[in-house]
Formats: sequence, structure tokens, C-alpha cells
Amino acid sequence: MRTFVGLVGLAAGLTAPAMSLAADAPRRPNIVIILGDDLGYSDMGAFGSEIKTPNLDALAANGTRFTNFYTHASCSPTRSMILSGVDTHVNGLGNMDEMMAPNQRGIPGYEGHLNTRVATLPQLLRDSGYHTYMVGKWHLGKSPDLIPAARGFERDFSLLDGAGSYWDMTNLSAASPKSIYTEDGKYLSALPSDFYATKTYTDKLIGFIDANHGDGKPFFAYVAHQAPHDPYHLPRDWRSRHVGEYDKGWDAVRQERLKRQIASGILPKDTDLSERMWFLSDPVVLAPVARALLGKKMELYAGMVENLDFHVGRLVDHLKQIGEYDNTVFIVFGDNGAEGTDLFAMISGSPGTLNYLFAAQNWSKTHPNAWGDPGSYVAYGPMWAQVSMTPFSQYKGWVAEGGIRNALIVSGPAVKRVKGDINHGVMHAADIMPTLLEIAGASYPKTQGGQALPPLIGKSWGPVLSGKVESPRTEADYLAWEIFGNHAVRQGDWKLRWEWKPFGKGEWELFNLKDDPAERKDLAAARPDKVKALLALWDDYVRANNVILPSRTIFETLEGQLPKRTPVDAGYPPLIYKKQFVPPQDMVVEPKP
Amino acid sequence: MRPVAPVRWIPALLAALCVLSPRVAEAQARYYWKSLDGANVVPVIFEVLSGNANPADPAHTVVPGSTVSGTIGMAGYSRMFSLFDRGAMAAIIVPMGHISGESRLAGNTFFQSANGFGDPMIELVVNVVGPPAQKNLADVVRYEPGFSLDVLADLAFPIGQYSNSQPLNLGQNRWYGRLGLPVVWQLGPWVPGERTTVEALPALWWFAANTDYLSGKTLTTDLLFQLDGHVTRDLTSSLWVSLDILWYLGGTTAINGVAGDKLANFGIGATAGYQITENLMLTAGYMMLVSSGSPNSLQMDRFTVSLLYGWHSLVEGARRLEENSKK
Repeated sequence: MRTFVGLVGLAAGLTAPAMSLAADAPRRPNIVIILGDDLGYSDMGAFGSEIKTPNLDALAANGTRFTNFYTHASCSPTRSMILSGVDTHVNGLGNMDEMMAPNQRGIPGYEGHLNTRVATLPQLLRDSGYHTYMVGKWHLGKSPDLIPAARGFERDFSLLDGAGSYWDMTNLSAASPKSIYTEDGKYLSALPSDFYATKTYTDKLIGFIDANHGDGKPFFAYVAHQAPHDPYHLPRDWRSRHVGEYDKGWDAVRQERLKRQIASGILPKDTDLSERMWFLSDPVVLAPVARALLGKKMELYAGMVENLDFHVGRLVDHLKQIGEYDNTVFIVFGDNGAEGTDLFAMISGSPGTLNYLFAAQNWSKTHPNAWGDPGSYVAYGPMWAQVSMTPFSQYKGWVAEGGIRNALIVSGPAVKRVKGDINHGVMHAADIMPTLLEIAGASYPKTQGGQALPPLIGKSWGPVLSGKVESPRTEADYLAWEIFGNHAVRQGDWKLRWEWKPFGKGEWELFNLKDDPAERKDLAAARPDKVKALLALWDDYVRANNVILPSRTIFETLEGQLPKRTPVDAGYPPLIYKKQFVPPQDMVVEPKP
Repeated sequence: MRPVAPVRWIPALLAALCVLSPRVAEAQARYYWKSLDGANVVPVIFEVLSGNANPADPAHTVVPGSTVSGTIGMAGYSRMFSLFDRGAMAAIIVPMGHISGESRLAGNTFFQSANGFGDPMIELVVNVVGPPAQKNLADVVRYEPGFSLDVLADLAFPIGQYSNSQPLNLGQNRWYGRLGLPVVWQLGPWVPGERTTVEALPALWWFAANTDYLSGKTLTTDLLFQLDGHVTRDLTSSLWVSLDILWYLGGTTAINGVAGDKLANFGIGATAGYQITENLMLTAGYMMLVSSGSPNSLQMDRFTVSLLYGWHSLVEGARRLEENSKK
């Protein structure tokens, strides 16, 4: 007990100056980051979706939508950049922990977790007098020195894993059968009795906010929702809000979304859709039952997004009730492209394996009416992932625009632009760290524990949010990505991209994103000068960040698994589209005897 | 990476077709579940009965002091279709078999027996409250009964075996039928292995007069109210059980104007069903009436085994293609 009292006294002593400082200073804004896990570019109503997201749309209407915002192509790398502002190959997420290649293991920057050589956003905000809260998915390390409480979050309720059940602690594999959660720095032995991830995270955060409300300190809340990552677990009353709506098929829904995006100014009027991926069926030729079953998966996904929006609405309403909404900056986005890869099959698809038996025991509720229940595992597949990423090409895991570009909403007192504005400046997830430090009046230290900190790679959005400029980047600035061996670099309107076959060509491809955001036309042969210039930037990026291309990746055998890549031409082959010929009625006769 | 092959879902859907099980006198649990338009079911039902009334007679006319036993089989056919966008079913069922009994009168014991075919009965059931008809497999995928209410009409044709020399016959020598309101109320998820239902069939039986009963006497029966009730629950995706109740009220029978007692009987029973294959379902059940012990009180118990074979041309064709693709 003496030790406990001593610690409390020490903590009080350390925090007292900050509190009095905060009380004297002008009131700084609260900050709420709302992160949707695998939420696609076009999944919010404000970005062209038919999915009903009134609460997120209201934030957009009260703030600014950004159409050229980049994340990384998978979740933990993006999260590492949000919270450190440092490139993934430096901050420990040079590859995902689950996918670390043999030649990357043991190399600094490739720890598979957010390493301790970087400073974190919550740590710096806490030190500057903010309360720091986190709820939701962490995925940046599990050991005691790596969990949210150790990285700057004063309160947390966190899923440490990358995915799992929304209803309980069931995880995805036999080797790691139980999801790990922490609450306020302690590992949970069980979940609350009424646990449903999206709801519980929201409840917990509201509790954290209320517990300290009135002490004069602003708060930073990192709301890293698990939704709408698969499995699509959803309360029953949220599953039937779009029944039959997606039977029309993915092509039609993509076209409708594009139309709305163009009408609202998200995209230029001459924007083309990316081609339907060559291994997907034209939904027009599918039987009604196939469209119903596949459509039902999208119905569930839409329900996931709407449920997420509902709980965001609960948080917003609560902040309004306690008088904090007007002084809160909201930043809303998805952590990477929508998920088109079958994660469940990847883990559990091989009969005879331990994971298969684990899935048989824990994840085998396959009947469509059970989709959403505990024990069911539904993901919507590449066809709907393309819809979520309208109008872009490909999806999560790939560095085509469909893997790395996402919708971004920023609202609140830091935004001085016209309400409901749409901005097309090139933004990046790593910008969040310098942006929020600026908003909070904090600074990025040069050292930590006597060691030099790596430089921030992002640019503050301050001038953009205040309406002074349209982009935080100049034409000379560039962005680069590497994950699973797929890599790309963008400067201005030009993008150089290398991807594994057959999604890519296994060689560099060049695109002009202004003219061709769907990345349909490879201009590498036509513009060798651009290829050369961008390659120089790529080399610069590799050197600066110690990028090590992986010796093994999950995509290395993909070419052998998928049908040979062919062009996708509408209505080809005509054979399967030809309708019944109906002869003139006056020429129809009975057969002669 | 290909979209799911719809044909893989076909077997699971087919299992849903096999819930139809036409019966004449008492409705089995899960009798009124709906299925895909064009689905067909052939039921073969085998019953062993005993009591003090003719088991082939839905009026259950009590013969005081008698002991009747029977071995009755029934075969039929039913087909699902849609009527004004509502699920509907038409069925015909023909009873057949052997019944025998003895009765004591004035100190003498009389033996009777009969065999042959009973009165064929046709049935029409149309859903009026609940989900729309399942016109294609997409509708089947989305089907959940929720609260479903049907209208039912039965009509029996008096062409079965009949002898006016004895009360025990397989045919009843009169027209009869019933009007009913089958109800299926889904409790909880509609997922195989988890389904729970409360089901009821309140119905009124009507009977025309038999003017050639026991050598020219006239047999009349008042309206008979019958309530079949079930609480059913899946134990696994292919095994279910049901707690069954049965209630008779009314149906006073008169012979040449001399009326007997009206029925007021309650029965309890249980049924289990097992999906043997995607096409074939087996059910077994037992039902007994709770009797007051009075000679005039209806006494009956019954053991039933049924096999139901269901098919649909679309599903069968899809299955053939799937099997062929594996070769």
C-alpha cells in the first residue's frame, strides 16, 4: 500500500504543473481520430455511397472532405504512421508482424510492432497536457512495453490483435486462439458480458471522457474501430437494412457510386471506373441465387458501416450534450483499401491443418441466416471490395489506388474552410502527427531517452485547414509505399508502381493519376523520362528508410492461383449474353405431320 | 478468388424442401413450413394405433366398450406453388391398411376388421400472413417464416373401402373436410441447428351425413374443433424434436338422431425428425390422448413413422452438374 500511495503522490506531483498550465492557457481543442478498419474510399455517403452514414456525413458537412488522402496498403503500417509520423520501415512496421519475410527478421525497422525508438502521438499530447484515450484495435504490439498504456494512452480499452470476433475473445487461428484485450494497461481475462466491439468501444470512450470531464484539460481520443473489418459480425437488427439492394451486382453499384461522386465534386466529371478485375464474373450473367448470396455479404458490410456510423453518432451526441462538440477536431478515415483478399481461407482453408480444425470448431456457422452471429465468418470478397474503392483499381494489400487511397474528413475548430468544402490536395496518414502536434501547441522532440528520434515524414495540414493553401505538398514532394514487396512512388500527378503478377506486371508501371485515377493506362513505355525521375525518388526513399524488399510474400504464388489475366471488355464473349431469339409471330407454325 | 459457386448451396437448400409431410387427421410438427415453388414431396406414413374409435375416421366416433387397433399406411404427393405471390401447397393423400377391433355387447364379443384403401383427401394451403412465396432459390436463401398464417382447406372423397354391416371401415361413406388456420411462429434465428418454432393448427372439421350406417341408419356428426400444437426445436442441423399437443372439442355424433357425447379430449406426444439425406427425412412420433377412463370417453394412442422424399427439378439438375464436374 505504501508503494501505491507513493506512486499516486509521484504521479500527482508530475501532473500538477501541466494541469495548472492547462487551466491558465487558452482552451485547446479536443481531438478525436475515428478510424474505420478496412473502410473503403466510397463507403461513406459523403463520398458517394448508398450506405447510410448520416453522422459521418454530418461531420463532412461541417468540415472538409479530402479526396487525395493516402494511407498505407495494410492496417498496422498505417496505424504505425498515424501514431508515430515516421515511415513504416523505420518505426518497426517495415512489414506486418504476421507477414515478416525471412530476410527482414531481426532488422531494425522490421520488428513487426511499433518500436520504442519512435515517439508516439499520445505520448507527446499527454506530455503537453492532454488526456489521451484509446478504444478499439491496436495491432502494434502485445508485450507490456508495447501496449497502448505503455505508448502514451492514459486510458484504453483495446484489442491488441489485428482481427477477431466482435462478440467474444475468439481469434482466428489454432496457434493464437484467443484475442488479447487490454483495459487501462492490464490484460483482460474476460470481456464485459454485453460486449459487442463497436458498441463497447464507444461506451468505454464515453466513460473515459466523462471521468475527466470538467478538469480543464482537453482530450485526445484514438477511436480505432474494428468495424468494418471481417468477419462481419453484426447485431441481428442491423443485418436486414439493405435486403436485396445489392442483387443488382457490383458493376451497377460501382457505376451508381461513381455517378454520385462526380455529381458531388469528389471526382472530376470525366473519371472512368477501373476495370472489373478479370477473375470476377459479370454479375449480369449470374443466377439470382448467386447474386442474392453474394449481395447478402454486401448487405452485411453495409450494416457494419451503418452500425459504425450509429455509434459515431452516439459519441458525437454525447460530446454535444457535455458541451465539448464545438471544441473538438474530428479526423475520420479508413486505414487502408477495402479488403478483397479472403483472409479466412488464407488462415483456415486447408483441410487437415490445425487451423482448419480450429475453424471447424469456432468459425463454421456458414448458413446465410447465421451470417453475423458469433461463429460465422463472412467477408465480401474482391467484387465488393472494388465497390468500396470506387472508382479505383484493386484493394487492400496492393499499392494501386484502391489499396492506399482513402476518404478523409476533418472537421472542428481547426478547420477554417467553407463548411462542406472538398479539397483535392495530396495528404498522407503520416501528416496527422505534425498536424495534431501543431493544433495542440506541442512539438516533436529531437531526442527521446538520449537517442535521436527519426524525422517526421509528414507535413502539417495547418495551412490547408486554415484555407491558406490547397495542399500541404509542393510539386517536388513525393510519397512512397512498400508492403509485401509491392511498392510505388507518387510525385505530383505521376505515380510509378511495381506489383506482383498478376495484379501488376512484375515490372514498373507508370500512371498519370490526374488523367487516369483508375490506373487503366500504363504509360511507362511512352514516358521513360518520368519513369527515370520517379525511380530516382524511389531509390532515395529506399536509402532514407532502409527499405528491404521481402524475400517471401503472400502474393508470390498468386499468378499460379488466379486465371490468366485477360482484358475485361463489356459484353464479351457475346455467347453468354445472347438473348432468346423470338421469331415473328405470323411465321410460327406447328410442325407438319 | 471466383465468386462462390451457387451450386454448393443447393444441397443445403434442398434440405429445406423436405419439411412437407402431408397427413390427414393430425398435423405433424413442421408440416406447414414453406418451400421453393415447384418442390415436390412424396410422404409414406406408417401408423400403429389403438383405442376405442375408428382410427381412420377423423370424427373419432367412440364405440363404447370396444377395443380397436389398426395398422395404417398413407402415401401421398404434395407440391409447392405460388398463388398471388403467396406460398401455397396442394396435396393429396390416400390412406390404406388394416384395422380390426372387438366390441362387447350384451355379453357377447364381436370381432370386426377391414382392409383396403381409405378416403383420399386433397388439401390446399395458402399463406396469407408472412413472407412472400419462394419463387426462386434467391427467395429460399432469404426466407424466414417469422409469423406465418395460412388458410387451409381439406376435402375427403367418400370412395374408400366401406361396409354398412360394421362400424369399422377405412372409408367413411360421407363427404367431410376441414378449414384451418395453420400458424408457424419463428422464435430466434432461422439457422439450421438453431431453429425454434411454435406452431398451431386450429381447424374445424365438418361431416356430411352417412345415410347407410349399419344397414341404413343415419350417422351425423356436429362440427369438430381440433387444435394441433407444437413446440419444435433443432438439436442439430439435421435433427429436430417436437413436443406435441392435441385437443378435440365438439363433434357430437348421432345415430338416427340419438346423440352420443361430444368430444372433449386432450392429447400429448412427441416427435423427432432426422434428415437422412438431402432428399429424405425420417420422422417418428408418439401421441396419446389423456382419457377420463369412462367407456364413452375417447381413448387413443398412436405411433407414427414417416419417410418423406423431396425433390425439385432445378436442384436435381444443379446437383447432377456438380457431380459431373467432379468426375
